[in-house]
Amino acid sequence: METVLGVRGARHSYGATQALDGVDLDVGAGECVALLGPNGAGKTTLVNQVIGLLPAQAGSVLVCGGDPRIASTRRQLGVVQQSLGFPNTLKVSELVVGAAVRAGKPRAAAGPVMAELDLVELAGRRASKLSGGQKQRLQLAMALVADPALLVLDEPTAGLDVPTRKRFWQILAERRGRGAGVLLTTHLIEESSAVADRVVVLDRGRVLAGGTPDELVARLPDRTVIARTALGLERLQALPGVVSLRGDGEHVRLGTRAPEALLRVLLAEDPGLSDLRVEGAGLEEAVAGLIERGAA
Amino acid sequence: MTVHKIFGVELADELRGIVREPAALFFSIIMPVGFFALFVSLFGKFSAGGVSAGTTMIATFGAFGVISVVLMNPGIGVASDRERGWLRAKQVSAVPIGVTLAAKVVAALPYAAGVLVAMTATAAVTGSLNAPLPALLRLLVVLVLGALPFALLSLAIGFQVGAGAAAAVLNAILIPTSVLSGLWMPLEIMPAFFGDVARFLPTYHLSELARAQLTGGPAVAHVLVLLGFALVAAVLAAVSYRHARS
Repeated sequence: METVLGVRGARHSYGATQALDGVDLDVGAGECVALLGPNGAGKTTLVNQVIGLLPAQAGSVLVCGGDPRIASTRRQLGVVQQSLGFPNTLKVSELVVGAAVRAGKPRAAAGPVMAELDLVELAGRRASKLSGGQKQRLQLAMALVADPALLVLDEPTAGLDVPTRKRFWQILAERRGRGAGVLLTTHLIEESSAVADRVVVLDRGRVLAGGTPDELVARLPDRTVIARTALGLERLQALPGVVSLRGDGEHVRLGTRAPEALLRVLLAEDPGLSDLRVEGAGLEEAVAGLIERGAA
Repeated sequence: MTVHKIFGVELADELRGIVREPAALFFSIIMPVGFFALFVSLFGKFSAGGVSAGTTMIATFGAFGVISVVLMNPGIGVASDRERGWLRAKQVSAVPIGVTLAAKVVAALPYAAGVLVAMTATAAVTGSLNAPLPALLRLLVVLVLGALPFALLSLAIGFQVGAGAAAAVLNAILIPTSVLSGLWMPLEIMPAFFGDVARFLPTYHLSELARAQLTGGPAVAHVLVLLGFALVAAVLAAVSYRHARS
C-alpha cells in the first residue's frame, strides 16, 4: 500500500513541555487511521505538523513524500476542522469554486462535489447561515474538491446528528475507495472504532499503542460492567479495579480487569443494583486502560 | 496552478465582502469626506503660495482618508478571519499567505481612490479647486501607493488582537497621528510642539509628499522616510504573522 503520510521520530516541545516525543505514524492510500488520546496527548501538535502549520523540531513529517509546509505538498491535503466560521459574506458555491481554483482545479470541479454532498440546493446561501451539519458538509466539499491524497479530519462529526454523521462517513468511504488516506482525530472513540482501519493511541507525546480496533481491545483482558445504580460517580470511580467510568443514560459503564471482584463490591455497596450485565470491553475502555497503564 | 488565478479568487472574495457588507468601509469613507466637505466649504477659497486651501486640503485630508481606509480594513479583516478560524483554513490550503493578504490590501485600494475622487469633486463643487489635472493625478497615485505601508502595519496588529480590539488600537493610532501630522488642521496654526513631533510620523511625510505634487516642493526626503516606514512595517507584519495568535 502506498504511504500518503509518513511521520518518523517527530518531536516538538513548547519550552519545557515535550508535546511530541519521537512519534512514528503511517497512513496508507485508502486507509483511515484514528488518532486517539486524552487532552494534552500531543494530537493537536501532531496534526499541526501534518498540515504544515508547525515544523517538526526533530524527525520528519512527509505527505506523499513532500514537506507539508510547501504549497505544492499542501495541494495533496484536505483538512476539515472541528468548527470553522465562514466569512459572513460568501455563498456556498463561491466557497467551493474558490477552493477548486486554489487547489489548481477547474471551476467546473465544484459542481460534482456539491452534488455528492447535497449542497446544490444551498449553493446560493451564505455559508455563515448554514446549520452545523451543513457547514461540516461544506468544509468536506471544500476539502474534497481538491481531490486530496490525504484528508485530515479534526473532530469532523462533533455536534452532528446521527443521519448526517452516517452520510459523512459514507462519502468518506467512497473517497477512500478511490485511494484517499484519512487521518482522524476524535473524542468519539466508538465511532472511530467503526470507521477506522487502525487506531493509534497517543499520550504525553508518545505512541502508546497502535493496531486495528479489535487488536487493541484484545490486548487488554478487560470487561465492562453495566448497571443501574444509586452510587455516585465519585464513589464508583473509587471502587477497586475500576479502570474507566462512563455515564450512559440511566446506566453506568465500568471498565475493569477484575469483573468478579468488582461485582461483589458493587452488590455489597448497592443492594438496589439493577439491569446488571457484563460485556467484553469496547475500544473506549481499551484506550482508557492503555492510557492508565502508560501512566503507571 | 497560477498565482494570478488564485489572487483573482482571493480579491473577488474580498470585494464581495466589501460590497455585501459595506458598513465598515462606508464609515471609513463618510467620515473623512464629511470632514473635508465641512472644512473646504469654510476655508477652501483661501490661498497660499498660489494653491487654494481647498486644493491643499485634498493632500492633507486626502492622506487622512486614504490612511483611514487602508489602515482600518485589512487589520480588522484579518483579525476577524483569525477569530473564526478562516485564516487557519487559508494557511493550510495551497494558497501562499502573501497572496491572501495582498488581496485584502488591494481590495481596499479602490475605496481609497474613491475617497480622493469624492474630495476632489467636493473641492470642485465648492469652487476651491485650482490644480491642473496631472498634478491631481500624481497626488492620487502618491497617496494610494504611499498608504500601502499603513496596510502592513494594520495587518501586524490584526494578527495579534481580536477584531474589536483591532478597531480600537487602529483608531488609537490613526486619530492622534492624523492630528499631530496636521492632516485635519494646518501645522502652522498649531502649537510648535505638533510640528516637532510630526517630523517623526509617516502620516506627516505622506501628506507632505502629496502636497509636493501640487507645489513642486522637495519630495526625496519624504519618499525616503516612507520607504523606511514600509520596511519597518513589513518586518513587523512578518514577525507578527509568524507569532500570530491562533
